[in-house]
Amino acid sequence: MAKPELKDAIAGLESGPETTPNGVATARGEAAAESHPTVAALRAQFGDAVLHHTVYSGDEHVVYIVPERSQELLSWLRHDPGQCFDLLKDVTAVDYGAGRPLELVYELWSVPRRVGLRVKVTLPLESLEADSVEPIWKTANWLEREVYDMFGIHFRGHPDLRRIMMPENYAEGHPLRKDFPLRGRFSRAEQTRRALSAPPEDNYTPDELAVALQEERPAVAGGEVADERSHAAASADLDPAAASPRPNTAADWSLGSSGSAAAGTQGATQ
Amino acid sequence: MGLTERHELPVVSPDGGEASFLTTRLDDIVNWSRRSSMWPMPFGTACCAIEMMAMAATKYDVARFGMERMSYTPRQADLLICAGRVTYKMAPVLRRIWDQMPQPKWCISMGACASSGGVFDVYSMVQGIDTIVPVDVYVPGCPPRPEGLIYGILLIHEKVRGETLKNPALRAEDSARAGLPNLPAEVVAEITTPFGNSTNQNKVSGLLSTGAVSRPTDRHP
Repeated sequence: MAKPELKDAIAGLESGPETTPNGVATARGEAAAESHPTVAALRAQFGDAVLHHTVYSGDEHVVYIVPERSQELLSWLRHDPGQCFDLLKDVTAVDYGAGRPLELVYELWSVPRRVGLRVKVTLPLESLEADSVEPIWKTANWLEREVYDMFGIHFRGHPDLRRIMMPENYAEGHPLRKDFPLRGRFSRAEQTRRALSAPPEDNYTPDELAVALQEERPAVAGGEVADERSHAAASADLDPAAASPRPNTAADWSLGSSGSAAAGTQGATQ
Repeated sequence: MGLTERHELPVVSPDGGEASFLTTRLDDIVNWSRRSSMWPMPFGTACCAIEMMAMAATKYDVARFGMERMSYTPRQADLLICAGRVTYKMAPVLRRIWDQMPQPKWCISMGACASSGGVFDVYSMVQGIDTIVPVDVYVPGCPPRPEGLIYGILLIHEKVRGETLKNPALRAEDSARAGLPNLPAEVVAEITTPFGNSTNQNKVSGLLSTGAVSRPTDRHP
């Protein structure tokens, strides 16, 4: 005999998200207001920006917030001394398919308080955009790149939003979306041809290639803030087109990707 | 498991003339030295690599077959052992390593994933590395035991034993093919149809026999 809350959780899995496409809470009930102190504080601070609060599996608290103010709320959760969610465990997303909106999920953990919180943002399929939380948690850089790669959610203000798992020249879409066919959109022959047409260096910025090739970087005193600048300077040495701090598009930072594969072979001899 | 091309000991040389005593003896010496000091380039990407390590370690001790040293640079390697699944993102890396290896060179596709994609018939996975590089021996298994890999290496040895210096096409290197797929697009399309990779692939890529090769020189009693 399953516990009632476990039963609820299983039912929730089968019925999909507890919100309708317009973001209104439906099936799952609202959790008790005082069951999680952070949620009560969030409501007091931001009012209507907090849409819905529910509990899974006994103690997993999920808060739905409005997408427009997500960065503001998350920044408050990070920086408010009473909350101090200093660890961003994960950024991921869920696609329930059938035209339902994507859910963007932030898994927070407060190391000093030993309290966790899951924050969700519902994004309709026609506007898959969210504010980047990279300024709040640096670890969100790669996590948001993964979400962008797999689900196609664009993060406003992300310093380096490009694919992280699929090759840079991948053109078949975003594989973890429910409407993505299991074997991809192109034929295997085309996938093989495309895979081999791109030299592996294309997947890296000049910055990252400089690390791999162990090239000298200008030493800059002054700690981490200056470090970012020095990386930009190093990449400018490699490629004048990459003088902007962190180039975003493949064309900006491709290192002679127009060259043939044979040229790429020679490049790896160093 | 089997050989993609089985070269019997040359009785008649490829140009039609009879092989002389001198060239066949020279072949014997060259082939003996090649197979007795074969250096593997381990391309381990998944759990097969664990079995490959076991093969190289003391219990199975592949040094018995002259593979004294894993060559972690393709420049000094003779045998590419692709152990594990290969993603499309990794495919150009595999191809480049193959292109960087000097002749003579051979390739073992170790395990189900490297040979056919295995269970990973998905968007990100190469459906058999013979679409990327030419493969000499496929070792089945998930993962194969070290004995299986050693048997594959012995098949490579068998293949080397049958090669002759008088066949210039055997070890020819076409630099224009560098970085290109190993098989033409229509063959790739044919062998990688859903659930077709494991049944069609060996046949299309030129494997003569899908059964174990029984040889008169087999070492078991």
